[in-house]
Amino acid sequence: MNHSKHVLLIEDNPGDADLIRLRLVESKSDVDVACVDRLSTGLEQMTEDPPAVVLLDLNLPDSRGAETFRNVLSKAPGVPVVVLSGQDDEELAVKAVHQGVQDYLVKGAFDSKQLGRAIRYAMERQALLTSLDMSRKQQLQFKDQFLSHVSHELRTPLTSIHQFVTILLDGLAGPVSPEQREHLETILRSAQQLRTMIGDLLEASRTESGKVSLQRRCIAVDQVIEQAVAMLQASARAKQVGLEAAVDSRIPLLYADPDRVLQVLTNLIDNAVKFTPPEGSIMVRACMAELDPDFVYVSVTDTGRGISPEAKALIFERLYQDPNAVDSSRKGLGLGLYISKELVRLHGGKIWVESDPGHGSTFSFTLPLFSPAKLLRPVIVQHGKLREALSLISVRFTPRRTPGGGSWNEIRHECVELLQLCVLPDKDLVLPPMAGAGPDETFLIVASADAAGTNVLANRIREQLRRRSELQASGSFEVSARAIPLPGAESGGSLEKLVGQVADRITEMAMSILRHEEEVTREA
Amino acid sequence: MEKPKILIVDDDPDLRRGLNLRLRANHYDTAYATDGFSAIAMAQKEQPDLIILDLGLPAGDGFVVLERLQQSANLATIPVIVLTARDPQTSREKSLRAGATAFFQKPVDNGELMGAIRTTLRTAWPGTATSA
Repeated sequence: MNHSKHVLLIEDNPGDADLIRLRLVESKSDVDVACVDRLSTGLEQMTEDPPAVVLLDLNLPDSRGAETFRNVLSKAPGVPVVVLSGQDDEELAVKAVHQGVQDYLVKGAFDSKQLGRAIRYAMERQALLTSLDMSRKQQLQFKDQFLSHVSHELRTPLTSIHQFVTILLDGLAGPVSPEQREHLETILRSAQQLRTMIGDLLEASRTESGKVSLQRRCIAVDQVIEQAVAMLQASARAKQVGLEAAVDSRIPLLYADPDRVLQVLTNLIDNAVKFTPPEGSIMVRACMAELDPDFVYVSVTDTGRGISPEAKALIFERLYQDPNAVDSSRKGLGLGLYISKELVRLHGGKIWVESDPGHGSTFSFTLPLFSPAKLLRPVIVQHGKLREALSLISVRFTPRRTPGGGSWNEIRHECVELLQLCVLPDKDLVLPPMAGAGPDETFLIVASADAAGTNVLANRIREQLRRRSELQASGSFEVSARAIPLPGAESGGSLEKLVGQVADRITEMAMSILRHEEEVTREA
Repeated sequence: MEKPKILIVDDDPDLRRGLNLRLRANHYDTAYATDGFSAIAMAQKEQPDLIILDLGLPAGDGFVVLERLQQSANLATIPVIVLTARDPQTSREKSLRAGATAFFQKPVDNGELMGAIRTTLRTAWPGTATSA
């Protein structure tokens, strides 16, 4: 049986390589050595048969200096690396160790004992690091499980409180005096607050461990804002705070997860309601910024007491609480803005706050626009020219079972897959799913076809949909088509400009389909 | 005309009692079961118009119940609303895939739940859900 450790020596100088082998034999370390003279061969060997330790010369025919250890560390994390260098360069040595190299020995300046020790310690240290990393991952997972368990267990008694308070409030157990009603409403409010906190706790832990996944779709920003404003209008009114939205209607579609965007918006508006005194007002805006043409800006402005410059720097941190909160017993967990920041970051946007203490604050965030031009180009351009005819086919799905069903990700995936099968990949394009205001879903296909060809494709889609019994059982489908008006040759401009124009037109058409505004020319 | 009958399946006695009160106030008949096994037996015996189902149950959890219901010819058409303390992110999709018509996390807003019950009964049994 062979218990010896496998050492990979990457060294291009045969004399140096022999000397190191000799030192290893002298050190009586129980190792077997494989030697290669190129970094590329070394990296190949490392993936095939990971060694217990790598002895690495820095100046090789195919790599030099710091680049060499960076390459090895990134390709084989977890394998201890000992650099054997011809240069006695303290600065480089420190850099190497900072980046994860276990030791840096200068050739000719070590004996066999020192080499043996360096190899042993390198392996020990690496093993320790690996186990620390493992236990950190386990801890995160444990925390997730723990919080998920706790939130489940907390919800059960909370449900009971909620249920019986509402039974009393609704008079199902006899008449309630005005004073009793007031007290019961206080209990109900607190129970609802508790419910939000439990939800936030789980959500924050999930964002931290990277378990939040976005279900991105094409969405119209005004619809999401309308929904958020409608959800919080009652609590604003109860506090005598005005709540309005002003959205630039020319904003094209966003490419974002509608549920998550709604979550960020309701969180910001809810905060604004909390911190704005009676007679104050809240304004939700969305606009485009010239500086940042790929993003839309959404902001929530209140006339509350504002945020101090010190607090501004910390407000998006986890568990941050305003030390000067007037109503200090109602601070919440300090997770809402942290969750919002993480959700915006996942979309590739940013979030920030501007404030004039005493006069109000504006929380702003950016979300990516849906840019169809890039997706469309390979489909609508042929031989360096725009295609002669293009059409837009829409498939509207109205689910049969809606109450509490939420979004049907699985159905959506199935539909997109089915549509992908119907189209010709280099001629037609299935756009990302679109989210409308209602429970229905709309899928759009850009087809490079004239009226007759479009009709054939639309019929193929209808036929395929009919054959899927599980899709038929879940809802009804309506397939319709219309031609995309193309810019004429006389309009001039480069091809890129033409593609941009078509993309804009498709976006406009998509938005009116989403809003159920258009007059559909249905094909038989 | 007979009132629609709703079978409550939950192992928490407080929840059963509260939901029972709420449903009766909304003019529904109720029956209840406290675990996965008796849920199927009660469904066979009572032939309810709708089932409100918890997921964390002794003797066969909610998903087992959903599966059994789907497998038995005379129970497969009964609509099921899942009402659970579990995380929607992990359980909603799974419940709907397993045949539930709706999913709510506890504590649920009464208006939403009653609305879902009315809609579900109207869709599943046209003409019978007129009592509320």
